[in-house]
Amino acid sequence: MNFLSLIWLIFLPVIAAIIIMLPAFPNHQVKIRRFAKWFAGLHFVYSLLFLLFFDSSMFGMSFEKELTFFGMTWLKTLGISAKFAVDGMTLLLSVLTIFIVLITLFMSKMHIRTKHKLYYSMVFLLESAVLGIFCAKDMFLFFVFWELLLIPVYFLVSQWGNSEARGAAIKFTLSSFVANMFLFFGMLILYYYNFAVSNVLTANIESLNMDEKIYPMWFQIMVFVNFLIGFLIRVPFVPFHNWYPDIQSKSAAPVNIMLAGTMFATGVYGIIRFNMQVFPEIFKLFAPILMIWGIVNLIYAGLLSVAQAGIKKMVAYSNVASVGFIMIGLASLNQTGFNGAVFMMIACSIVYSALFVVISSVQFRTKTTYITALGGLGQVMPKCMYLALIICFAAIGIPFLMMFTPKLMVLAGAMLSNLDQQLLVKITAAIGLCAMMVSAGYILYFFYKVFCSVLLEQWKGLKDLSPQETSVLTALSLVIIYFGINPMSIMQIYQSVSSIILDVLQV
Amino acid sequence: MSELLSAYLPEFIILIFIILNLIFSLFSNTATYKLPKWFSILGIIAALFSTIYLQIDPEAFAFNNMFLTNIYTVFFKILILISGFFVVLLSRNMIREKRDRAAEYFCVFLSGLLFAMCAVSSINFVSLFVSLEALGLTCYLLLALNRNNNAKQLTFGYLMQSSVVSSLFLMGLSLVYGMCAQLDYSQVSLCFSQNQSQILLTFALILMLCTMFFKLGLVPFSSWLPDTFEGARYPIGAFMSSVPVLACFGVLSRILMTFLNYTFTVKIVLAFIAVATIIFGSLSAIRQENLKRLMAYSMSVQSGIMLLGLCVFSVYSLSSVLFYLFCYVFVNMGAWAAITLLYNSAKLEKLEDLKGIIYHRPYYVIAFTIILIALAGLAPTCGFVAKLYVFSAVARSGFMYLPFLLVALISSVIMIYAYWRIIRAMFRRIETEIIIDTHVISSKYILYACAVASVVICIFADKIIRLCQLVAYYM
Repeated sequence: MNFLSLIWLIFLPVIAAIIIMLPAFPNHQVKIRRFAKWFAGLHFVYSLLFLLFFDSSMFGMSFEKELTFFGMTWLKTLGISAKFAVDGMTLLLSVLTIFIVLITLFMSKMHIRTKHKLYYSMVFLLESAVLGIFCAKDMFLFFVFWELLLIPVYFLVSQWGNSEARGAAIKFTLSSFVANMFLFFGMLILYYYNFAVSNVLTANIESLNMDEKIYPMWFQIMVFVNFLIGFLIRVPFVPFHNWYPDIQSKSAAPVNIMLAGTMFATGVYGIIRFNMQVFPEIFKLFAPILMIWGIVNLIYAGLLSVAQAGIKKMVAYSNVASVGFIMIGLASLNQTGFNGAVFMMIACSIVYSALFVVISSVQFRTKTTYITALGGLGQVMPKCMYLALIICFAAIGIPFLMMFTPKLMVLAGAMLSNLDQQLLVKITAAIGLCAMMVSAGYILYFFYKVFCSVLLEQWKGLKDLSPQETSVLTALSLVIIYFGINPMSIMQIYQSVSSIILDVLQV
Repeated sequence: MSELLSAYLPEFIILIFIILNLIFSLFSNTATYKLPKWFSILGIIAALFSTIYLQIDPEAFAFNNMFLTNIYTVFFKILILISGFFVVLLSRNMIREKRDRAAEYFCVFLSGLLFAMCAVSSINFVSLFVSLEALGLTCYLLLALNRNNNAKQLTFGYLMQSSVVSSLFLMGLSLVYGMCAQLDYSQVSLCFSQNQSQILLTFALILMLCTMFFKLGLVPFSSWLPDTFEGARYPIGAFMSSVPVLACFGVLSRILMTFLNYTFTVKIVLAFIAVATIIFGSLSAIRQENLKRLMAYSMSVQSGIMLLGLCVFSVYSLSSVLFYLFCYVFVNMGAWAAITLLYNSAKLEKLEDLKGIIYHRPYYVIAFTIILIALAGLAPTCGFVAKLYVFSAVARSGFMYLPFLLVALISSVIMIYAYWRIIRAMFRRIETEIIIDTHVISSKYILYACAVASVVICIFADKIIRLCQLVAYYM
């Protein structure tokens, strides 16, 4: 399996971006688009090979590979190396990212009318940054990709969004940089206090820990909170969620798909990798708080979602709300909850990207995203309506569709968890069950308003989905249905990860 | 004689070329204006190569123990010469406009390099004072090259304030002499450790540090920065933001490490100054519309970050500051090359002039963007590694520094915004037609070279970090 190298998997998109940016590459939109699609398709096939050869029964990391420059380790004197490795969870997330990028490229044709070279290279750069986040084995390498992500996102949002997109993009980028600085601060402290404990200067995530009795509790909590703030802003989680609906409602439709599919998986992954694995004691301490926080997130963002006037903001808020489930699953500290949370990550990425694909088709035809201006589109776009119905049902959590199993597992995990504050936890889990109804409310409201109610006069001449859109939506629906019926096929891949992490947590 | 030369060969070579330029200026006319430039380039390259022949192990002394050469000073001299080399290449267009003054300009410029190198090498307070004072004077002469009234007014402030801080230095010097009756570093250090009343000596040294703080644009002394830079020509700005900074850090770290190593209060005060500089500089930078003013504050913020690394007082932190300086030379010069280029080719001075430049010169813009990303300390460039290294040195040194570190990190985001404004302006949609003259070659190549260097240094950072650790160890 020598041809399966994570370095290639991560840096192939960068190479594609450079090829597109080269002056020799023809500045002709059809050629650029075709190249990008072919490249992304082959990249997807390559990533599937990883999945094929992945041994899910093996514990720990596999496909480990180090990026060396003429045989030199990157920053060896500082204990920092460019090592990459995947486990079941990150491999799944990587493949998912590549799949989402492929879909984005298929949906880009109608919406991207200017600066094709910049657009496609930025999409590839974003893909590479996300893959790097998932595969990095070193803390600072993780941070490099974590920051690198912001540059393509800034360009994607600001250059092809609507007239307000520039302000939103800069606001997002700067607030993310502030969050990153908290994260960086936490990392620097962790780096050196780990050095002081173990006497080995390293930034390898697996060998980091602060769980010695040398440092006072408040100090560990401070570092933990720094990490948590850094990740929660990216996720986005409720007090820090504002940027997400903001940039989603202002950026172009394919960018929406991309952001919904990739951004919050990186944040949740960070919480799992750092807050859970490096600070198990503190995470246990924080688990009830995080669980309640998740519930607050679920209800608050859900209610906000109902109140929105634009469909993009509506779906974005419901996306924020669904992250609450992930947090509840993680905080329940048992196998069921954790597996459910990771499954939820993947399901959320796919389902919400699919919802944004639907929105992109609607927006392309009607040139509006205001909910009052839409209505009855199902009469003129039946194909779109039926496919959207599957996706909306999935988002609600109807059985045999992708979101059902993880929601069930998360809530079951919360009910079964033996955290300290038993009563509180049970009550929160019960509230979470009720909150599912809120989620049903806003998704159905969205579906009803767009596709069902009275057809307005100006939309009578709309065309139904093009073959390209139909195939994209059909593919997504098939994925949703397949993994809804057969959830074990995903879950068995990351089974070992959950046992490792829960072993660290000693629960 | 040969022993003497083994200690100060590069200075000697530069001195020879200054004299050559002076002699040449007697015969020069407007037709031969290019020759002094080639003389200077030749001199700088010769000086760079001559550093190979310097005696660094064991350390070499000269001029009755006033002058030291070891690997530390050689490191700084090489950086000073490299930045001097870049500045000579950048000054092409300026020389074309002032053909009759080319030889004069290069004389003053080379003496600036000479005095900067002497300041790094000096281990005696008198020679240090003379070098720094002469460096300040050459800076003023270079600034005064721009002869319109506004520029005169703007640069005169520099002369006044610089003379005030020089008098502070003299005050400190007299106090030190009064206490110890010695001016040699090692003797004063001995006196410092034996003397009971350290407060007065600390006070005297802090008075001396003010000169360095002034030249670095650290906070209580940063008011001269924007006006002076705005009044200066572009290559002079590049000179002012690199050569005195290198010289001052060379001197500053030596003084701090030699004398103030155990003074807790000084560490805290320095950390305060550093953080205040970062906050003040970045808050001021985001309001600037003129690129030169913005770069002035950028220099101030970068010095603040380096001072924060320096105030930790360890070999590790010193090596991190050396690495930061190494990156700073290339990155800062790249930024100055970019704005010089923009000015020379299309007279673009303000942020709003930059609109739509991406459509005319995409590769300039991409190179400049890489440079700005490096200045901001972001991911795939050497700026990130430098920031990581400096801040990790600060994080390593105890709980006391953590609040400073957090504030510095958060406020560095403000500076990211300041750099981002330039990038955003360049990527704006086009509104006016920009006429671009394509004859500016040398600064273009400096820009590209610095952009490539900032990525290459990031990749091969390990080697340079090892070098910096070696240099810091042997200081």
